[in-house]
Amino acid sequence: MKKFFSNIKKYYKYAVRSAKAELKSEVADSYLNWMWWIIEPFCFMLIYTFVFGVVFPNNTKYFASFVFVGQTAWEFFNRMVTGSVKLITNNRDLVTKVYIPKYILLLSKSFTYLFKMGISLIITFGLMIFQGVPLSWHILFFIPILIVLYVLSFGVGMLLMHFGVTLNDLSNLTNIVLRMIFYLSGIFYNINERLGKKNPTLCFFLLRVNPAAFCMNELRKVMLYAKLPSFEGLAVWLIIGIMLCAFGVHVIHKNENSYAKVI
Amino acid sequence: MKKTKKKETVTKKVEQAKNIAVTVDNLHITYRGLKKTSIRASWKNMGDKVETYKALRGVSFEVEEGKILGIIGQNGAGKSTMLRAIAGIFSPDTGSIDLHGRTISLLSIGVGFNKKLTGKENIYLSGMLLGFSEEEIAKKEKEIIDFADIGDFIKKPVKTYSSGMYSKLAFAITAILETDIMLIDEVLSVGDAKFKEKSYNKMKELISDTHRTVIIVSHSLGTIKELCDEVLWLEKGEVVMKGTASEVIPKYEEFMGVEGEKK
Repeated sequence: MKKFFSNIKKYYKYAVRSAKAELKSEVADSYLNWMWWIIEPFCFMLIYTFVFGVVFPNNTKYFASFVFVGQTAWEFFNRMVTGSVKLITNNRDLVTKVYIPKYILLLSKSFTYLFKMGISLIITFGLMIFQGVPLSWHILFFIPILIVLYVLSFGVGMLLMHFGVTLNDLSNLTNIVLRMIFYLSGIFYNINERLGKKNPTLCFFLLRVNPAAFCMNELRKVMLYAKLPSFEGLAVWLIIGIMLCAFGVHVIHKNENSYAKVI
Repeated sequence: MKKTKKKETVTKKVEQAKNIAVTVDNLHITYRGLKKTSIRASWKNMGDKVETYKALRGVSFEVEEGKILGIIGQNGAGKSTMLRAIAGIFSPDTGSIDLHGRTISLLSIGVGFNKKLTGKENIYLSGMLLGFSEEEIAKKEKEIIDFADIGDFIKKPVKTYSSGMYSKLAFAITAILETDIMLIDEVLSVGDAKFKEKSYNKMKELISDTHRTVIIVSHSLGTIKELCDEVLWLEKGEVVMKGTASEVIPKYEEFMGVEGEKK
């Protein structure tokens, strides 16, 4: 664990620089360049709001903001998971030519995703003001919730990164699992409203066993409905997240030297 | 004349008590374990014996500070594996590699380049990967740009470069950012005739610095003869011979001749 922190300290600057470089190169030669970071989440939100607000009407208050909050958290989680599976293989050049602690690659990637999530959050706030969501100090709890989400996705990402080196078809499996989580997390519907009365136990489990759904639900509680988050839930998921990270670091330290031999 | 001078310095060094820069002790490296596979195959093969390939079997040697060691041997003798192990990209399975606290780099071209970014930004990305800090690179930046000699292209994205310009910039980065120990896999010859001469001279200058220890892998016996103080001959992962160039190379040539006739 000590090695992990000293490595982070040593390579932190590189991670930041390479994240910036990646963001820059992403928009370097597209016509609307950085505008895409705003257009993309906004259009997705419009689609979901139309389909699930107009086609399948519901009674959720501030539905557009509701969708957007969910989507912001989801996109981050989704990107971390999809991005990490092929991370080592995609950086073949780097891995076979210099030594770099492999989680630095993930750290750097996560910075680009955090940046995109930041933009998405800003749009969310704009939308909330536009919809007249009453603002309260509870909103500030979004920070610890996002920290929990980050730690969790980093842990999951590290493990997937490790197994992604040897298992060629791991990405197929993660795609299916992600799709399942996507529909079960209630990004574009309100789990409480749909299932709360009909099947309270299922609703209870969906919101607590699935970290993505849990984080989304807590985010909505604090941001839209001025409620306190569930501190026990956050603590439990934070501990699980830290354990995943510790395990991931351990696995990577043990195996990272062999990666260059495989890819 | 030149040779006698060299000998003098050698004897002087011996008198000063050996100052060892690299110690490799009983190094074994095996390729195994992590193998690319699919989820189904890894399920099926569970419990199977994993195929192993021994790239190095018990290699030991020492290099003194300021010396130039050449490594020769047939394809697959384990030369590149050895270099990568010394650079820290692989870890040894058994045995040890001790650099006595010196910095090391494997001279390789274009590590961590992002083709959509400008040459200047890539100098930083690549340099930081090689373990230099931002400030150190900033100090050497001008020197690198001057050496690369690609004019205004330094401000243009790397993907617009010709392949010659690309390698010129990449070479300049690795050549100007110096480390105590340099590992060279095949002496690089890049760019046009003029740059080739310049880079060869620079290379000579770099490796003849009395404090710099250099390990070169090459198939060009001429280069080895010209540059190296000592030669290590590897065959099938084992040391066949170690000695001065004039001792080892004739025997190696003889051996290769015999091998050729057999086929």
